[in-house]
Amino acid sequence: MKKQKVVILDNEQQNKHDLDAIHKLQEGLSKVDQFPVYTPDLQWFENMVITEKENSRKKLRKELSLFLTIALFILSGIIVSFYQMPIVFLFIQIITTIFIVFYTVTGFRRKVKINE
Amino acid sequence: MDPLIKSAKEGDHLAFAMLFKENYPFLVKYLMKITMNPDIAEELAQETMAKCIQKIHLYNGQSKFSTWLISIATNAYIDQCRKQKRENQWKGQEEVYRKLKWHFESRNEEWNDAIEALGKLPVDVRVPIVLKHYYGYSYDEIGAWMKISSGTVKSRVHNGILAVRRELKLGEETEGRHTRQRTTK
Repeated sequence: MKKQKVVILDNEQQNKHDLDAIHKLQEGLSKVDQFPVYTPDLQWFENMVITEKENSRKKLRKELSLFLTIALFILSGIIVSFYQMPIVFLFIQIITTIFIVFYTVTGFRRKVKINE
Repeated sequence: MDPLIKSAKEGDHLAFAMLFKENYPFLVKYLMKITMNPDIAEELAQETMAKCIQKIHLYNGQSKFSTWLISIATNAYIDQCRKQKRENQWKGQEEVYRKLKWHFESRNEEWNDAIEALGKLPVDVRVPIVLKHYYGYSYDEIGAWMKISSGTVKSRVHNGILAVRRELKLGEETEGRHTRQRTTK
């Protein structure tokens, strides 16, 4: 019973120290909130929005054209191999399947490692 | 949903600009607290706004717009740290909070040891502490933003506070007594 009381008192003490540390952190961080931050005018923000939208449109166009070119290249290769060299076609299919499985497993393992 | 957000979602540039102007100081100050560097904070605020423009269609209005900005900013900072592996470069990190210290001194504000202790923590511990104990977000919310479980957030916050306590030498007597008790058993 006495031992239990001592443990409870110690826990209370620990919690009090935790709260003290949190309070000190809050005190320090609230000072950062008092720093003056220069806010640009509305025109600056509007220009930034326009530029950003234009950039993302350009990026999308670039990525789409790259994707279509690569897709066209791969598809024509596969079609040619299917009609002209069926063994090569089969080989490509097997290699691609192995690669996808390997890539997924490696990616998953890396994710688990990061979360650990 | 706020009419300003509705207009921004429909592609109105001015609505977007007004939203950003309104939330800019809040965003920069949040980033200053987690990065401990006003220059990086401003740089990341711009990156956050750029991401916000690209992802506005995903905003469903369930949380405040400022909360949504904070979630994007948090991820932007963590991504930047991962890319640059800034956390592993101890010297660099030390310089980072020195900059904030300099800002304190230039404003004649007393430097707070707790902030220094916070600055010494790794980013994945520092960010949840600020979000939980300064902004009051829940473990679940923080976990969702950082893509980790709420239990992991809880343990990181707990260990982080312990590290801050050690740095501030809070409760050393109690800890010392525990150690003594253990050794005498």
